[in-house]
Amino acid sequence: MTTQEITATGDIEIAEASRTNLWRDAVARLAANRLAVVAILPIVLLFFIAAFGPFLTPYDFLAQDFTARLASPSSEHWLGTDELGRDVFSRILYGARTAVSVGLVSTAISLIVGLVMGSLAGYLGGRVDMLVVWLTDMTRSMPALLLAIVINLTLKVPLEAWMEQMYLATKNGFFRQTMWVDLVLVFGALALIQWPGYARLIRGQILSIRSRNYVLAARALGMPTGRILTRYVIPNAMGPLIVAVSAGMGGAMVLESAFSFLGVGVQLPIPSWGKMISDGLRMWQTHPHLLVGPAVMMAVITVSFAWLGDGLNDALNPRQWGG
Amino acid sequence: MSVLLDVQELQTRFQVRKGYVYAVNGVSFKLEEGETLAVVGESGCGKSVTMLSLVRLLPPAASIENGKVLLRGDDLLQIDQRQLRDVRGGQIGMIFQDPMTSLNPFINIGTQMSEPLIYHRGMSKKEALARSAELLEMVGIPDGEARLREYPHQFSGGMRQRVMIAMSMSCEPAVLIADEPTTALDVTIQAQIVELVKELRDRSGVAVIWITHDLSVVAGIADRVIVMYAGYIVEEAPVDALFEDPRHPYTVGLMGALPSLEGDTGTRLTTIGGSPPDLEDLPDFCPFHTRCPYSIDRCRTENPMLEPVADASDRGHRAACWVDIREVEVQSNGAGASS
Repeated sequence: MTTQEITATGDIEIAEASRTNLWRDAVARLAANRLAVVAILPIVLLFFIAAFGPFLTPYDFLAQDFTARLASPSSEHWLGTDELGRDVFSRILYGARTAVSVGLVSTAISLIVGLVMGSLAGYLGGRVDMLVVWLTDMTRSMPALLLAIVINLTLKVPLEAWMEQMYLATKNGFFRQTMWVDLVLVFGALALIQWPGYARLIRGQILSIRSRNYVLAARALGMPTGRILTRYVIPNAMGPLIVAVSAGMGGAMVLESAFSFLGVGVQLPIPSWGKMISDGLRMWQTHPHLLVGPAVMMAVITVSFAWLGDGLNDALNPRQWGG
Repeated sequence: MSVLLDVQELQTRFQVRKGYVYAVNGVSFKLEEGETLAVVGESGCGKSVTMLSLVRLLPPAASIENGKVLLRGDDLLQIDQRQLRDVRGGQIGMIFQDPMTSLNPFINIGTQMSEPLIYHRGMSKKEALARSAELLEMVGIPDGEARLREYPHQFSGGMRQRVMIAMSMSCEPAVLIADEPTTALDVTIQAQIVELVKELRDRSGVAVIWITHDLSVVAGIADRVIVMYAGYIVEEAPVDALFEDPRHPYTVGLMGALPSLEGDTGTRLTTIGGSPPDLEDLPDFCPFHTRCPYSIDRCRTENPMLEPVADASDRGHRAACWVDIREVEVQSNGAGASS
């Protein structure tokens, strides 16, 4: 890259940013990272599809066309149909909704749990800290998939029975939707797997920021603890957390697909990319179009989240802030 | 003048794996209204820990075991957290060694400066910002109002220390504790910061405790000096008396290590050989005796108390030493060479 090019693109943004603040600096740095910018496009598209997909699909994701089972891609069915005659393209679009809701909800739950546990451990220290670290160690020592399988096998039946009882007691239609049981279990399992990571990250951040000079200076100025936490500790802990959340979202989506692939995730008839891949795998030699669509989506999204996380890491890394 | 701050028998220790490290061992001193007190000593001698103990800003491993810190009669070691927060910033301001990391990088200067004003003085955001702009100009940062919107990384080290000083002085405290505020700055900026604090002190009448290991700064700013070693005060004197007539061998050693602008430029600066003792036990001997050219048998068995020195020009001149060093010929080639 020549000097002229740098001057033409990066410098203007950075000069602009230096008059403002560190967040703008970070955004400028992110914008200068090509891979991250490329990665943002599919991620934005994914969220758009998740929000509006069902309105865009040419067919309902459940609609079966028995005259065109296992049809190859055509102008009528862009990505062909599966063995029940359902439009693959529509199912992929709807699957984005599953992926995004799993990513968002499970990340949100594990982030909240991790924030609370991590802040308590980091700020209170002592026995609370030891307990939290022990809990995270214990959770992390169990293989993720095994944990998900155990949760699914042990909790699914009682939860469904409880919903049935609630329906009989309240006659509320909500409790008939057993479809929700799967989602709740998947969210729960993912949150359980992911919270220790966030808790440890936040604990470490708080431990390191607590001993920074500006926190000491703020205490020496008589600022109350709550204000120090919200104005001094948490904002300075955000950088690595944002990176972790970005990576965690992609990770949660992949894990959900893995669960579904193994049959412990989202169950039929809700479309899930993992489930579609596992179904498609059975006849990929004769009907490769069943596998290609969801597999490509999965790959693109996974790589995009990895690139974005990497770009965010470079942009938000406090070691580079300096001065 | 009346006594503003009266520290009595302060003891602070740190818990470590093996037991304790005794950092501050029965330190007592008084600070009068408007006075500037310098605290000198080498790294790890307990200067900073003493000052952090005054406002209970110690790290979790440290605990204050004994003592009183009377600020206008109130014991700061007894008051509750709420009152303590009012004292911090409100009555005792502090500035620290490293200005590069003493400001929150996420909040602009104006917001950061106005927080103590809002909190301690009950100002509105607008009043606090206006006052902050005045304060910036007062500490020599021109165009204060515009700079309020800037962030710490847009300020140089010296500027940030000026901001820190402005913040710590913003609520007009009675005491300003400056913990080696010039150590991390280059020499020309150091002089500016010293001048700034002197100017602010003379204008506001704040009492200053200036922690340093730079004796040349002490000569320029202090009224009185405390010399600390291994968690003890080993000598206390008005600044002139200390420089003209030092009575503790450690002080003599410090003076000998100081370059002079006058005098014979051919002489070598002396050093104090050895290193300070580990403070894992309270010593029952003079902590300096292993490095002291004047040491006698008694130094190895009994730790001297801080007592008024003989033939002092000032009643406040005290030292903790068994030997009257004026009467002794130094045998070794140690620290006494320059006296």
